[in-house]
Amino acid sequence: MSDFQAIDALLAATPADRTPLPPAEQRRQLREGLGLSRAQVARALGVSPSTLGGWESGRDPSGDVREQYVYFLQQAGEKVRSRTATEPPAPATHPAHAAPMESGELGGDDGEDLVQLVTPAPCLLCGQPAQFALAGVPQHLDTAECNTASSTPQTPATPPQPEAAKQKPPATRRTAARTGDVPIVPKGRRAQAASDTPDLIGQAVAAALAQYSGDVEAATAALVKRAIPDAMALLDATRKGGRYDVVAHPWVPDILRKPTAHGADQIWEARPKWTRPHLPAGQHEVTALDINGAYLSALKTHLPIGQLEHSTGNHHDRRRAGVHLITPPVWEHDAVLPNPLGSRDEPGPLWVTEPTLRLLLRLSGPKYGLCDPPEIHESFTSGATENLLEKFRIALKDARDAAIAAGDEVTLEYVKAMYSKFVSTMGESNYNRELYRPDWMHIIRSQAFANLWWKAHRAFDEGLMVVRVMGTDELHVIGDWRAVFPEGRGVAEVKIKDVYSVGTDPDHTNNP
Amino acid sequence: MPERNIEFGKYGARGIKGHEAVARQLDALAGYIATPVTARRGLLARLHYLTRTDHAQQRAREAGLAVTDRTLKAWLDGKRSPSKANLERIEQAYRTVRRENVARYLLARLNREGRGTRVEIHPLNQSQVDRPRQRVVEFRTLNVRRWDQIVQAWSTGDDQGLDDAWVDQIIDLGSQWGQYEYVTTVGFAA
Repeated sequence: MSDFQAIDALLAATPADRTPLPPAEQRRQLREGLGLSRAQVARALGVSPSTLGGWESGRDPSGDVREQYVYFLQQAGEKVRSRTATEPPAPATHPAHAAPMESGELGGDDGEDLVQLVTPAPCLLCGQPAQFALAGVPQHLDTAECNTASSTPQTPATPPQPEAAKQKPPATRRTAARTGDVPIVPKGRRAQAASDTPDLIGQAVAAALAQYSGDVEAATAALVKRAIPDAMALLDATRKGGRYDVVAHPWVPDILRKPTAHGADQIWEARPKWTRPHLPAGQHEVTALDINGAYLSALKTHLPIGQLEHSTGNHHDRRRAGVHLITPPVWEHDAVLPNPLGSRDEPGPLWVTEPTLRLLLRLSGPKYGLCDPPEIHESFTSGATENLLEKFRIALKDARDAAIAAGDEVTLEYVKAMYSKFVSTMGESNYNRELYRPDWMHIIRSQAFANLWWKAHRAFDEGLMVVRVMGTDELHVIGDWRAVFPEGRGVAEVKIKDVYSVGTDPDHTNNP
Repeated sequence: MPERNIEFGKYGARGIKGHEAVARQLDALAGYIATPVTARRGLLARLHYLTRTDHAQQRAREAGLAVTDRTLKAWLDGKRSPSKANLERIEQAYRTVRRENVARYLLARLNREGRGTRVEIHPLNQSQVDRPRQRVVEFRTLNVRRWDQIVQAWSTGDDQGLDDAWVDQIIDLGSQWGQYEYVTTVGFAA
């Protein structure tokens, strides 16, 4: 009987009935109806503004703070209702903020300091009544609004002409911020506009298109052909003023040397090639996802700066990177997740690179506890930084994003050739003699594989069924993956490679 | 500070002479036949290289391969195989001729029409030196614009000439150039 009492006690402790929250868009409208910023409300509730933003875009709060949020929404609703009842209709139908969407946009993209005033105060610039205050200063949010207000005071009948608004020069700092600040970059002891720095990628593409008089295919072929020297020139340009020099020809230990021209060195890159052994009965729809620009993203990794130095002992220094001889731990989750070491059949110690070792160490830590820590026997390492190729990566990523947005296939192909060939020839390749860093090549590839492993882990963590993990960028999952990974062509997004079904329908097996 | 080391390695520093490292890198760039001369494949490849034309054969003879045409033919046909001393001579002649042949193109690529080539100088290894005797010797880079003397000395196998030509260049490192008389490696591309 005591069991039932415990259950009764538990049920009694829960709130009688959870008040249903209004739909997400109403939550936002209620807050904005009171002219409150997200930061203000978040402070009162004791949560972060981004959490509140999550609640306003569909997520539901839980726990005690849910009750507080419900209370806030109820009170806000009543206040808005009472205000609309008492307020005279004339100022409320001001064209600028009559529609709730308008004010919502302003609150959304202009930060937290924007407050809607209950009583209009004179604008800082034109002196006419303004409905909003930015950083405590009442002002009109738009030049057009400012001008119409000053020319036709208190007659909000004619909405401002958008063309006229565009032609007017930006008068307020608000507008200046809106039409786009001028991004600047450091140059020597001065600063200069980012647009003044030479855009090597854009210039090369423009020159190639001009040379082949707009023949897209010929221009693409020519650009792909010169991708390696261009990537090296871009690397040099992005390292200007950098803290570390790119050391291109260090001494390399024998484990990183190819024994013959076509032989392989001793480094294990942990390339995944894994298929789930069993699936539950029934028919499943599998989606093959493709990670965009895997090697481009993998350029952000801990790279050894200088010459590799030898050390022994089971110790990992987080400030260094290189290659390590380890005895890998046993992996017991092969039924649901791939081995982070890839498909290695041979037992015993092996040389792995920094990303693989860091992945194993992280998985063996208290947060995940998926395996034992690997045992490190010896290492060749050097002081490491993640920022060595960071500007290079950002330049390529920006060019890639811009090319995708503009549908520019020439630039897209060129950028793709640049980063993929840069990675594949930075070792002992005769196609790129400017850079002899086989260690970087292995580390960047391993980072791509480790990134893919984390994607698989994330899918597993969010309740998807991981079916296959292959190569650099292929992930096969069962389930609603759109809730986990955004779809698109950006580097943080995935695209569908294939959709296929596995297994047989149980009805069919019952009635053959 | 002495510019030339008198007793290098007394306290455990390890390294090779700068010009030796340069010669190694130039050899790596010249790209010799990878298979050793002791293997039949390697021997044949070298003999073919040395007997391809009359001119090549003449250069091989000048480089020390003083054997008759009859012997060469017998080696190529596999009727006889060269003695150990002759294998060494073949290897030496091959390397000399190859260097001479490659030098012209290597020089053009290194000079790059006067723009020169960036050279990385990796300092000597002090890991075996007692801590109090260790010195800060940094990684340095240098743009070498004129390679003519270096390549010329390398192609003729003139060790002293290569040393002098190399020291002439690294003097540009400044007053500490003596620290870079011995190095771990010297890296450059061509």
